[in-house]
Amino acid sequence: MTAQTVDALPGAPRTRAASTGRMRKRRDAGTRRPSDLLLLVPLFIVLALIVFPVFWMIFTSLRPERALTGALEWGTVFDGLGFDSYRRLFAGSNFGLYIVNSLVVALVSTAITVVIASVAAYALSRFRFRFRGPVLLAVVATQLLPFVVLITPIYLVFSQLGLLNSYVGLTVVYVAMTLPLAIYLMMGYFNTIPHGLDEAARIDGCSTVSVIFRVIMPIAWPGIVTVTVTSFIASWEEFLFAGVLMTDETKKTVQVGLSGFFGEYATDWGVVMAASVVAAVPTIVLFTTIQKRLVAGMAAGSVKE
Amino acid sequence: MTVELDMVTDSAPARSVDPRRGRRSERNGGRRAARREPYLLMFPALLVMAALFLFPAVYNTVLAFQELTPYQSPGDATWAGGDNFVALFTNPATGSAAFNTAFWLTGVTVVVRLVFGLALAVVLQSAILERWRVRGLARTLVLVPWMVPPVVAVAAWRWMLDGNTGVINQTLVSLGLLDQGVPFLAQTSTVWFAVDAIIVWRELPFVVIVLMAGLQSIPKEQYEAAQLDSAGRWQQFLNVTLPNLRPVITVVILMTVIATFNNFVYVWLATGGGPGTYTQVLATQLYSTAFIGNDLGGGAAIGIVMTAVMAVFAVVYLRASNTVGKDER
Repeated sequence: MTAQTVDALPGAPRTRAASTGRMRKRRDAGTRRPSDLLLLVPLFIVLALIVFPVFWMIFTSLRPERALTGALEWGTVFDGLGFDSYRRLFAGSNFGLYIVNSLVVALVSTAITVVIASVAAYALSRFRFRFRGPVLLAVVATQLLPFVVLITPIYLVFSQLGLLNSYVGLTVVYVAMTLPLAIYLMMGYFNTIPHGLDEAARIDGCSTVSVIFRVIMPIAWPGIVTVTVTSFIASWEEFLFAGVLMTDETKKTVQVGLSGFFGEYATDWGVVMAASVVAAVPTIVLFTTIQKRLVAGMAAGSVKE
Repeated sequence: MTVELDMVTDSAPARSVDPRRGRRSERNGGRRAARREPYLLMFPALLVMAALFLFPAVYNTVLAFQELTPYQSPGDATWAGGDNFVALFTNPATGSAAFNTAFWLTGVTVVVRLVFGLALAVVLQSAILERWRVRGLARTLVLVPWMVPPVVAVAAWRWMLDGNTGVINQTLVSLGLLDQGVPFLAQTSTVWFAVDAIIVWRELPFVVIVLMAGLQSIPKEQYEAAQLDSAGRWQQFLNVTLPNLRPVITVVILMTVIATFNNFVYVWLATGGGPGTYTQVLATQLYSTAFIGNDLGGGAAIGIVMTAVMAVFAVVYLRASNTVGKDER
């Protein structure tokens, strides 16, 4: 647990395991043995199998339409690669619109989550107050609540409030969905920042809100980035609520639109794979750019699917 | 969540609100303001969570005792007493959905993830990977399934599993292992193995990452001591690695069980609960009852049952995490 916690807090000093690991690398770099291959070759075969579905998805999206309906000819498998499936995708559907919908909802909900969560996390990090324990428990409990159970009551309430097929409705749901984890992660980052900074700013006459946004947030930016990316990915990937609350063709999100493509009887798999690649690009890019920091955050967030 | 465990219970280095530290001009009014301040700061978050978690959870309980379709307004609901629960428990489909949820959706995938995840985590920690400078590469490749959204994962696998033109069938046929393609997701003998393969593939990286973090925290001295006692690799694994990992494994099991038990997207998009209702799980049954069968009360009743089961796991989880990061106060 300790290693996990330290990983999650970018401000904290490196773990002992990490620093000795680096020393060992230098010392053992020359002593590669042929018997190592007995482990490495099977490992990389397994890794190739793990990566294959994503490779095949990208590869299929680039293959010509006629090549996908007949038998798979391995000899000519690289013939005629191109972006025709992507052309069919954007010409034959509202996928561009779905992208806009997903981006609007995910970006706005992420921004709101980061602001609300950082203020709440500051309170939980810096103040000891009577209901701190219960509030922390509530934050964890919401993570454990079966999300699918909320869909019926939220649908009914939103239908009464006119929030079906509305950006506002889905945005509010995503703020709530990403908030508990954001608060927790942020509280962890804030705990690593020395309290002397707050006090110095206070003596200079800063209010609590300006301490948070002018002093704490700029220092905690690696944590803010992690929380931002985690929240954005969670909102971008969400399927159930988007599917139930946004049924209008012009309001569908990327994931819901994509799921409609392969539910059809005559599926054009080239288009489905092209749409899949587009739907996965933001998450893959965000994931790889800040992989190390994200892993700790995502590990924490995976309780909620 | 692992991150959280420590934080729920640890004594965070925060200090109590001391009104005397407040600005001098506020000496009297400031005391009350300072006491109110944390609540003001948390107000937006608590408001959102109350509106989107607490209220719907309460309303769902009310709904479970009502009869209502999605096309009616909540005011038109009629009271049904315990009818929804009677209908739920006398419906033979419920027993099968409960079994599918517990065994095929959750049990099998959690065990397989744990076994594969542990094997991969141990191998990825091996010094051999460091010697060849491939640990970073290997770690990134393991994470790849996690980088794609679940809907995309299902799409990619449905294409690979396609009965006629899918790459898996085409390869098996061309190798002579099959005479003709098998519609893996459309026949009862194969459908659960196919669905579980999708779930394990997409959710394995999380298990590997958490277990790797656990492995890193095992003191090297314990392995050195075991080597002095001339313990072999396997004995080291049994006597040093596993006992040290036990708390991490407990948390991983609880986290994956909770997440998978409630999962809707994999089964729904891979099979829609089919063929027929063969792969129906509680989450998909809830959705089908409420939004396809137009019986919101019936769906809410399933939700109550799911929440009750989850509450048991939640209590176990919070207990387990408490013993992991023991409170010092």
